[in-house]
Amino acid sequence: MRGLFAAALALTSALAQTFSGRGFMESDSTFYPQTAVNDSSHAVSEMHLRYEASWQPRSWIKLAGALDARTDTHRQTERAWRMDFDDRSALRPPLSARRFSLVLARGGLTLEAGRQFIRWGKTDILNPTDRFAPKDFVNVVSTDFLGVNAARLTYERGGDTIDLVWQPWFTPSRTPLLNQRWTAAPADAAAISIRDNGARYPGRSQFGVRWNHIARGYEYSLCYFDGFNHLPLFAAERGQPALTVAVQRYYPQLRLVGGDGAFPTRWVTIKGEAAYFATTRQQSDEYLLYVVQFERQQGEWSWVGGYAGETITKAAGKPLQFSPEQGLARAILGRASYRIGPSQDAAIEGAVRQNGDGLWLRFEFSQAWGRHWRATLQWVLIRGDASDFIGQYRRNSYAQVRIRYSF
Amino acid sequence: MNKRRSVSAALAATALMAPVLFGQDGRQIIAESQRRTRSKSQRYEGALQVMDAKRHVSAKRWNFIRLGSFGDSKSLLRFTEPPEVRGVALLIYNHPDRASDQWMWRPEIGRDQRIALQDRSTRFFGTDFSFEDLEERDVNQFDYKVLGDEAVDGAKCWKIDSTPKQSKSSQYTHSLLWIRQDNYVLARLEGYGRNGLARRVLYRDLQNVQGVWTARTIEVFDARKNSRTILTLDKLEYNVPLSESDFTLQALRRGS
Repeated sequence: MRGLFAAALALTSALAQTFSGRGFMESDSTFYPQTAVNDSSHAVSEMHLRYEASWQPRSWIKLAGALDARTDTHRQTERAWRMDFDDRSALRPPLSARRFSLVLARGGLTLEAGRQFIRWGKTDILNPTDRFAPKDFVNVVSTDFLGVNAARLTYERGGDTIDLVWQPWFTPSRTPLLNQRWTAAPADAAAISIRDNGARYPGRSQFGVRWNHIARGYEYSLCYFDGFNHLPLFAAERGQPALTVAVQRYYPQLRLVGGDGAFPTRWVTIKGEAAYFATTRQQSDEYLLYVVQFERQQGEWSWVGGYAGETITKAAGKPLQFSPEQGLARAILGRASYRIGPSQDAAIEGAVRQNGDGLWLRFEFSQAWGRHWRATLQWVLIRGDASDFIGQYRRNSYAQVRIRYSF
Repeated sequence: MNKRRSVSAALAATALMAPVLFGQDGRQIIAESQRRTRSKSQRYEGALQVMDAKRHVSAKRWNFIRLGSFGDSKSLLRFTEPPEVRGVALLIYNHPDRASDQWMWRPEIGRDQRIALQDRSTRFFGTDFSFEDLEERDVNQFDYKVLGDEAVDGAKCWKIDSTPKQSKSSQYTHSLLWIRQDNYVLARLEGYGRNGLARRVLYRDLQNVQGVWTARTIEVFDARKNSRTILTLDKLEYNVPLSESDFTLQALRRGS
């Protein structure tokens, strides 16, 4: 009995030494001054709990997990309690395993298998090469990354890193809900009912490889991706009864070659990223998407500004699609943030389309109290033409209050 | 015999006291100070208290490891407190002949970001340390002039004026350093900008840790903001077994 107690004590002690966790509880209240064609609400409240933990019993092995729990007042989250492992549902799941992976490391070799986050690219305002990083677009201008089920093998030696990724199970980006304001319906379509016919998911795995090189004072990378776009196209058909349209999401095959680089200079840091999107599907465009951005930090200020461009090499007409990446292209983007004090920050960021058809601006002020609490006030202004990706959300300007308790 | 011994002792004493007797060479003093604190590696847990002008206090903690020293080293700093920045990490490659390479890891975006500081007076994560203050000084990038002797906390120090050479970009037009004469430990530093005093750094609670005299408490006063930060070094160790693979971008990611 005494031995058992000693063993339990030793185990508890070992766990305490190798276990780390963090998380937050967050309440968001969003206020929309205007109603939308398909959404009469003026206020949405959300609650979000996230807990991330890792256990590293030896230096070469680590288990990492993260759990999200959510609910809201606007039926953006499923009401039936269940645990989700692949983020394929149209609604946000009430409980989801955001991350659950095993990490093995030996020298310069790292293998991570399971649900994880894989981020590629160097720019901050748009990442054309970031192909294993689907997002939750239920609110198009306030997004969060979704984990993917994949195996990632990384080898780093000197200034070179090779990254091999195999994703056997597809995770799409979560698109705006059809019956809510972030699916912008034209005013003359108010009488039409849109029915969600679900999604057709790819039947095969995805693969990607990336080489990153850190040179003397700068770095760059090249990548290749063979898989599917996590942003969908839509197949629409007239449904029953009349004035009903049934919409199904599907994900076009995608091959991508790309690269990125970061070049610090005396005055600014120049970062660039470009990718060529090719596909065998007739319904989607083939195009080059690129970003050039300039960064500078000065005292308490941090500045990022740049241009996102697009060159379509093969047009597929006007497919019914949801593509925030292309929607933010041909735009000037920027962000300026200012640290007011140890616990206060302010930021402004925005995007304006080069033809002036779309404008998005976000002002943010945040204040921390003590070790745990932070309040963030946001005001998002959206203006533009209904035919523009940004402009179509012109009735969705909002103010938001976010209270977060971190632990 | 006694006479010879006396002469030898006098010569030895003269050699030891040479900087004192014959006009100290500031560069030699700084080089000796750095030589005495040189170690293959270092690890500590830092506890920070940041007090703004209104005396509001915020606390932070980080874990720090370093491999190599003075101008040719790699460092990794990872925040452990408060909860909202837990896991945020900074990887720094210091080079003897050029600006350091730095990458930041923020768990919420899950990606390393290369950061380049065109203005190294930028405050480090809301503390009163600027990024430049956390860099290791390369002795060859400054000109030195010994101004005389002055006591700091009762200890006799050399007061040295340090001016960056033209090739060295610095937020400070010049700095004053106080080096203790008994153990060559930096006791105080004042950095001056165009408008006068910018920062004052006090090095306190000296302890001999594995043969290296180290200030366990470092207090920084930002004269422009009238705020101060106190850094306490806990669980300090030198020459700990660390390898190059602990200072890679993968290590930065794995530790999150």
